[in-house]
Amino acid sequence: MRAIPATRGPRGAPPPPPPLAALLQSNALLDDAALAGATPLRADVLVLGGGGAGAAAALAAAGAGRQVILATKLRMGDSNTVMAEGGIQAAIGPEDSLQHHFDDTLRGGHNSADPHLVKQLVTDGPAVIRWLIGLGMHFDLEKEAGLGARLLRKKAGGTTVPRILSHRDVTGLEMMRVLREAVELHPRITVMNRCPAVELLSDDAGACVGAVLYDLEHRRFLLLRSPAVILATGGSGRLHLGGFPTSNHYGATADGLVLAYRMGARLRDLDSFQYHPTGVAWPAPLAGGLISEAVRSAGAWLVNGHGQRFVDELLARDIVAAAILREIAEGRGVTRGGRVGVFLDTPGLLARQPDLLETRLTGLKHLAHKAGFDPRREPFLVAPTLHYQNGGAVIDPQGETTIPGLYAAGEVSGGVHGRNRLMGNALLEIISFGRRAGAHAAARPVAAYSRGGIEHVHRWQRALAAAGLPRAPRAPLLYPDYAPFSLRQHAAA
Amino acid sequence: MDTLNQVLLYPAFQLGADLEGWLAAGGGQGLIAALAEPAAIIPTLREADLRGMGGAGFPTWRKWQAAAEAPGAGKFVVCNGNEDEPGTFKDRHLLRWTPHAVVEGGLIAALATGAAHLVLYINPHQAAAVAEMRRAVAQWQASPWLARMERALGHPLDIAVVETSGRYIGGEETAVISWLDGHFPFPRRKPPFPAQSGVGRAPTLINNTETLAHVPHILRHGAAWYRALGIGAAAGTKLYSLSGDVMRPGLYELPMGTSLQELIFVHGGGMLEGRDFKAVFTGGPSNTLLTKRDLDVALDFDSVRARRSRLGTGAMIVISEGTSIIRKVAEYIAFFAAGSCGQCPSCKAGTFQLARLLDRIDGGRGTAEDLQALESLCRILPGSGRCGLIDGAVTVVESSLHTFPDEYAATR
Repeated sequence: MRAIPATRGPRGAPPPPPPLAALLQSNALLDDAALAGATPLRADVLVLGGGGAGAAAALAAAGAGRQVILATKLRMGDSNTVMAEGGIQAAIGPEDSLQHHFDDTLRGGHNSADPHLVKQLVTDGPAVIRWLIGLGMHFDLEKEAGLGARLLRKKAGGTTVPRILSHRDVTGLEMMRVLREAVELHPRITVMNRCPAVELLSDDAGACVGAVLYDLEHRRFLLLRSPAVILATGGSGRLHLGGFPTSNHYGATADGLVLAYRMGARLRDLDSFQYHPTGVAWPAPLAGGLISEAVRSAGAWLVNGHGQRFVDELLARDIVAAAILREIAEGRGVTRGGRVGVFLDTPGLLARQPDLLETRLTGLKHLAHKAGFDPRREPFLVAPTLHYQNGGAVIDPQGETTIPGLYAAGEVSGGVHGRNRLMGNALLEIISFGRRAGAHAAARPVAAYSRGGIEHVHRWQRALAAAGLPRAPRAPLLYPDYAPFSLRQHAAA
Repeated sequence: MDTLNQVLLYPAFQLGADLEGWLAAGGGQGLIAALAEPAAIIPTLREADLRGMGGAGFPTWRKWQAAAEAPGAGKFVVCNGNEDEPGTFKDRHLLRWTPHAVVEGGLIAALATGAAHLVLYINPHQAAAVAEMRRAVAQWQASPWLARMERALGHPLDIAVVETSGRYIGGEETAVISWLDGHFPFPRRKPPFPAQSGVGRAPTLINNTETLAHVPHILRHGAAWYRALGIGAAAGTKLYSLSGDVMRPGLYELPMGTSLQELIFVHGGGMLEGRDFKAVFTGGPSNTLLTKRDLDVALDFDSVRARRSRLGTGAMIVISEGTSIIRKVAEYIAFFAAGSCGQCPSCKAGTFQLARLLDRIDGGRGTAEDLQALESLCRILPGSGRCGLIDGAVTVVESSLHTFPDEYAATR
C-alpha cells in the first residue's frame, strides 16, 4: 500500500495509509450553526470512549472526586476490549521481572517504542492485576486450585517468560464485565451512550476544553465543556486498510486520531498496523473474526497447503502474519469458498490435549459452533486480519498529548508498543494508561473562565483552503462507510 | 498582498531590539527633528491629525498640549501597552517587533511635555513584548541619545518598563495611574484628568502604543505626508486586527478610512468556507455591531461614529451567517464580567447579571422574564460606573438586541 504524506497539520508523523490520510485531512462535520443550537453541559473530566481505557480513566478520575461524563459512540462496553481473547501481561511470576517484561516489549516493538512509556506500562503491571481482581475480575488459576492458588501464566508470542494472565480465552470480555459494572454503579460517572464526539473544543491558548457530542437519540448537538478530555476512542480497523478484513468492532473508525490531529496534536507510527495472524478466512460470515493467540499459545500449529509447518507459531505477531502472507503469495495457501488462507491445526492440538476446548478455549468452541463445524475434526482456515493500530497520538507517561488538557489512552495513543505489539500488552495498556490519564486529568485545575470554541477548526479550514485540498470530505467517520448513516441528514431529519 | 503605504509594519522596521538597525533604517530622524524644534512638535501632530489609537480617537495633540501646559515638575509619559481585550492584537506586535519606534515616540512626547519619566506599561501576558522592550530601553539608555534628550529637557529622564497587573481594567487611564502609584488598578472618576493630576499627582500623559509608534514617522516626514496616507478626510494609517470567520485573519496596516468591504474581502481573503457575512464586532468588543448595511463604511474614527458605532482599537471580529450572535455576545460579556474590578456595585453585579442572563438565553434555558430583565438592565446600567466598562458591555448587548431581534425571538 502506497502511503501519501500529510501536507497539513503537525508534521513528523510518518505518512499514513491513504484512506487514513484522507480522513486526517478532511473537513469538520460541524460549523458554528450546529454549535449555536447545541445544548451546553459541564463535566470536570470528559472521557470519550466506552471501552476498557475509557472505563479505567473514568473510574480513576471519579475516584479522585471529579464529576465525570463518559460519552460513547455505541454503548458502554461495545469495544475491542471485549474482543481481546488471549490475556493480559504482567510480570508477576517468580522467574519473571519488570526488566524481562520491559525488554520483551521493546524488542517485540522492534525497539521503536517510547522507553519511558514502556517503563510505565510494565511497572504498572502487577498493580493493574491487583486492581482488576479487586474489581471482581476472575483469572484462570493453576491446576492445584484452592486457597493460595497461583494465577495461571501462559506464554505469549515474542516473550521470554510465561507472563499472560487470562480468563479462559475471553479475558477482555471478563475485564469489561467488571469495568462496566464499576462505571455504571459509580455515583460520579454519567454514561452517555450513542453520543459520538464530532469535534473537540479549544480555548484561546490552544488547550482542549471540551467536546461537541452528537446525541443520536434526541438528534441534537451537545456542547460539553470540561477542563480535561480523555480520548479513549480506540483504533481504525473498520477503515479496512489494504483491503484486509478486520477483527475490530463496528466503531473502530479512527475518530480520535482525526479529532486530535485537527487540533494540532502530534501523532506517531501511523503507517504501522498489526495484522493478527489468525483471523478467520472461511466461512465467509465470520471472516476477519479472531481466533485467539491462546490457541497457538496452547500449542496449535499453522500448516500450509502442503501440510507443512512453516513458522514458529509463537514468534511476534507481525512475523507470523508475514509468514502466512508469504505462504499465500507463493502459492502454498489453501483456497476454500473463494477465500485463501492456511490451516490452523486444531484437530492436531485437540488430539494432544482433548480437554482444552472445555477449559481454556471456550471462545474457540463458541466460534466453531457459530461456524457450524467441529474443530476436533476440521481445522480452521485462517489469514491475517487487520487487528490493531500500533501508532496514534503522542503521549507522555501521564497520558497527556501535546495539546494541554487533551489526554489519550489505549489504542488511540501511540508509542507504548512501537511498531508492533505483543499479545497481552493491549489489555495492560488500557488499564495502566487509562488510570494514569484519569488521575492526571482529575488533577487539572478547573479554569475559572473558558468557554471554548472551534477556532482550531477555522484555522484548519483556512489551512485546507490554502493548500488547495478538497473541503467536501468530512470526518470523523463515526461509522464505517458501509453503514447507512450521515450525520448531516440525520441531524436535519 | 498590498503592502503599499506601510509605516508601522514596513518590513525594514520589524527589527526587534536593534537600535543600530533602527537608526540605519531611518529611525532617529523624527527625534532629531523634534530636538531641533521642540515647540513645533505639538503643532505638527495637530496638523497631521493624529488620533488616539487605543479606541477613543481623541486628537493626540490636545492631550499633549494639556500635559505640556499643566504646571508641575516630574511629569510622566506613559505608553499604554496593557492590550487585553478580545480580538485586539496590534500593540503586542509593535512592542515586540518595532520597540524603538515606540520608545522614540515616547521620547518625543517627553520632549514635548517636559516629562521626567517615560514609563512603558506592558501586559505581562505578552512576555515576549516585555522582554524585547527591556532590551530596547537598555539600548537607548546606553546610547548618546539619552544625554542629548536630558540636555534638551534640562533635567534627567528616567525610562522604565513596568509590567501591568495583566487585568483588562488596568488599561483604563486612571487605573494606569493607580497601578503606577502602587495600588490595585481601580479606575477613578475624572476629573481630575491625568494631564492635571496623574502618577504621584504629577501631570501625566498616557498614550496608546500604536499612537506613540506613529509619532517618530510623522516628525520625520512631516504632517502633510501623514495626512496624505489616509483616505478622504482621514489621516495616516491604522492597524486593523482582523479575526473571526475570514480566510486570512491577521494584523493589517491599511490607510485610515479603508472600507470594511475591502478589509474583509480583499485583505482578509473573504469569508471562511464561503459563508455569508453577518456582522462585525469592533474592538473591543464594546461597541455597536456593524452589519451588512455597513460593509461600505470607511474605517476611520469619524465615519464609523457616523454609523453610531466606534472604530475602537481597530479590532474587527467578523461573524458569518450560522454563528449565533447571542453566543458571541455572551462570550464577550462573560469576559467583561470577569474583568470588572468590582468597585462600582452596578458594574460588578450588572456585568454578572448580563452574563448570567445571556448564558441562559444562549443555552435555551432563558424565559421571557430573562429577556425583559436583560432589556431593563440595558436601560438602567449605562453611566453608572466610574469608568466606561459597564457602558461598553451594555452597548454591545443593546446593539445585539436591536440589530438581531430574531435571534432573541425564541426566548420572547
